[in-house]
Amino acid sequence: MKYFSVLVLSILALCACKSPAPKQQEALPSNSVFNLTSQWQNQDGDTLQLQDLNGKTLVVVMIYTSCKSACPILVAKMKKIESKISRKDIDKVSLVLVSIDPETDTPEHLKEFAKTNGMDEKQWVFLRSNEEATHELANVLAMKYKKISPIDFSHSNIISVFNPSGVLVSQEEGLEINVDGVANTVAKTVKGS
Amino acid sequence: MKKVSAVIVLGFLSLVCCNKPQEKSFPVANEHHELKKVNTSVKMVYIPGGAYKPFYGADSAWVTVAPFLLDERPVTNKEFLDFVTANPSWRKSKIKSLFSDSTYLHDWPADLELPPNANPNAPVCYVSWFAAKAFANSVGKRLPTLDEWEFVAMADSVSINARSKPGYSDYIISLYLQKNRQFNPVKLSTPNYWGVYNMFDLIWEWTDDFNSILTTSDSRVGEYDDKGLFCAGSATSATDILNYAAFMRFALRTTLRANYTVANLGFRCAKDSIMK
Amino acid sequence: MKMKQLLFGMSVALSAALFSCTTQSNKEEWPAGGINMEATGEPEVAEVTGAPKVPAPVGNRGPKKWIVNLVTTEEEGIIADTIPYTFWTFNHTVPGSFIRIRVGDEVTLNLKNEANSVLPHNIDLHAVTGPGGGAAATTSAPGKETSFTFKALNPGLYVYHCAAPPVPMHIGNGMYGLILVEPEGGLKKVDKEFYIMQGDFYTKKSAIKEGLMEFDNDKAVAEQPDYVLFNGKKGSMLGANMLEAKVGETIRMFVGNGGPNLTSSFHVIGEIFDNVYLEGGTTVSHNIQTTMIPAGGAAIVEFKVEVPGEYVLVDHSLSRAFNKGAIGKLKVTGDANPKVFKASSLTKE
Repeated sequence: MKYFSVLVLSILALCACKSPAPKQQEALPSNSVFNLTSQWQNQDGDTLQLQDLNGKTLVVVMIYTSCKSACPILVAKMKKIESKISRKDIDKVSLVLVSIDPETDTPEHLKEFAKTNGMDEKQWVFLRSNEEATHELANVLAMKYKKISPIDFSHSNIISVFNPSGVLVSQEEGLEINVDGVANTVAKTVKGS
Repeated sequence: MKKVSAVIVLGFLSLVCCNKPQEKSFPVANEHHELKKVNTSVKMVYIPGGAYKPFYGADSAWVTVAPFLLDERPVTNKEFLDFVTANPSWRKSKIKSLFSDSTYLHDWPADLELPPNANPNAPVCYVSWFAAKAFANSVGKRLPTLDEWEFVAMADSVSINARSKPGYSDYIISLYLQKNRQFNPVKLSTPNYWGVYNMFDLIWEWTDDFNSILTTSDSRVGEYDDKGLFCAGSATSATDILNYAAFMRFALRTTLRANYTVANLGFRCAKDSIMK
Repeated sequence: MKMKQLLFGMSVALSAALFSCTTQSNKEEWPAGGINMEATGEPEVAEVTGAPKVPAPVGNRGPKKWIVNLVTTEEEGIIADTIPYTFWTFNHTVPGSFIRIRVGDEVTLNLKNEANSVLPHNIDLHAVTGPGGGAAATTSAPGKETSFTFKALNPGLYVYHCAAPPVPMHIGNGMYGLILVEPEGGLKKVDKEFYIMQGDFYTKKSAIKEGLMEFDNDKAVAEQPDYVLFNGKKGSMLGANMLEAKVGETIRMFVGNGGPNLTSSFHVIGEIFDNVYLEGGTTVSHNIQTTMIPAGGAAIVEFKVEVPGEYVLVDHSLSRAFNKGAIGKLKVTGDANPKVFKASSLTKE
């Protein structure tokens, strides 16, 4: 799968000379995450589809904001990755935090969380949807989660990088994620797109 | 599980925090407008639900399964053919690779043609979770949750819960060990207590939340709490270690990804019950 | 870190603390192993063999890159006489294929689970340093293939096995084999090498298919096997299948024990092991009659055959040998050697 993504990526890179910024009208790659048609809300309460994120390299993690154990580490990793992306590239990148607890993580709540954690610049995107769509996205990412109490979830820890066409470029699992590695992947993806 | 969590959440909200705003869930329902409705004649069985102890979970973690309806048998080749006939985007040549690996409907010689030697009434296999879910939506149903499926799987032909009967797990394992069962037609074996057929003797089945099992695929590690991989790892260990049949099902589920298509993996559909 | 390494590390740390506060990292206690050895060249597909054969020795070559292809299967085979049993295998055999590499080698292991498998399988190689010995990284649904790469750091003879749940069932059905990591320069040359692996089998009649035997969980939990076998079959080294050697030859046996439960007391009747690589590691002991091989462990035994005859290989827990099948033979041909052994032709009055 990874090789396939790389292949697709390099093909895209080759084709990219013709059309530097993929337009929404273009046919989506068959393996693009933008093929999901679910509706999402961002931290500003705007309704959108994943496809509205197209055109930028995406760094995606699924968390819930009231998590006390793993998620704070993941959030810190995301901030670290963000800090390692060159400032000239930053407007070509979105760092996306998707809530697995849409009941609690309302847009207002997400906005508050973003502010508290210093993640309120425009490269930061917080999303929530309903349970079904969240589940579907988790399945695309092969991310496992389960609600184990009214306030707690078990979940796996995965940071994924997508190219601007929504094709998965790489995934890192676990809490010892190598942030330099992810940042490099992001830099390469930005360059290649 | 969806229902169960909802019940727990509601209970929790009403009991503990009445001041919590109620309309927090996401307002826009996702519509499956791209799917054409397909008719199906499969009988659905009413399952009244009840308390049950999941195979994985904390020792005391009883789960209440709400009443629901379950297809009496797995979805067949013929039914899936009807589905892809009505829904071209789910045909073998059209399916998006996001939604399936390369072996989708592996033995089908063409988009609308069953394998020459296939029984139309045998369960459909080589379908991904995405495809199974799309099928369920097209017939106005959903996939059963893991807890719903396992609740029904506790029954033998005469009782609701046969788990503690000697030989219950062994008999299922004997079934599991037979190869190529998936080519047999549905409903030839004895139904269980609820009147549900083919829970064990033909195929593995997708559940909606198959990916909610938070153990690593290395079960020897998963038995122990590992905060490095998962939050709240205490919820991940097996309660009934000698129930090898259930262990095998969980082993399979932890191996799957939603785009996988497998020779002996199919599905059946479920529905919320309107009866109370 | 694996348990054994943890324990080893703890004991080393403890002894260091007890005996020498000034000790720095000591070569004896922490052999450098293969970590700094560079594997060169393009990866090649490694030759692997079914028991009792082993692949060619590594000899003097430097560290290289290898691809090892294993397929996991579930298939009926004969366990004893004409009795069919559902075995689970690596590469269609019990034990699975013998893998032979050297320290410093880099191996990409591809594990393909056959499309008609019912269950997921994976591989934990005890020769691997890393989580689960590769188990989680290689867990494969039916029809799927997984892969991981490891560097062989420690020389020795190691067991590999499937670690998919329920683990005792996967091992009990035959999912184990050996991987040999030769030291730099290779093991010294011998005339004959053999691959032998013991396993305990727990059987009951299939409730579905008449005549077929399958794994019995209750017997396994009680650790009461019906069969204790070398190389997965009663008589695998008897009759036409006897191992063969000639008088004067040096013999090396790579002996593993898959378990899942029993410890083997490996013995060759009428021979004394000149050399035993204890537990498959680096310590060589001499003049050993019977060597203990734990479940999930291995040993290398070496001896020179001096006298013609049939030498019986047993688990010296003898009910297993004479009642449950843990018996095999090495047939040695050649001239009699009365200097070493001479039976009187007459019975004494």
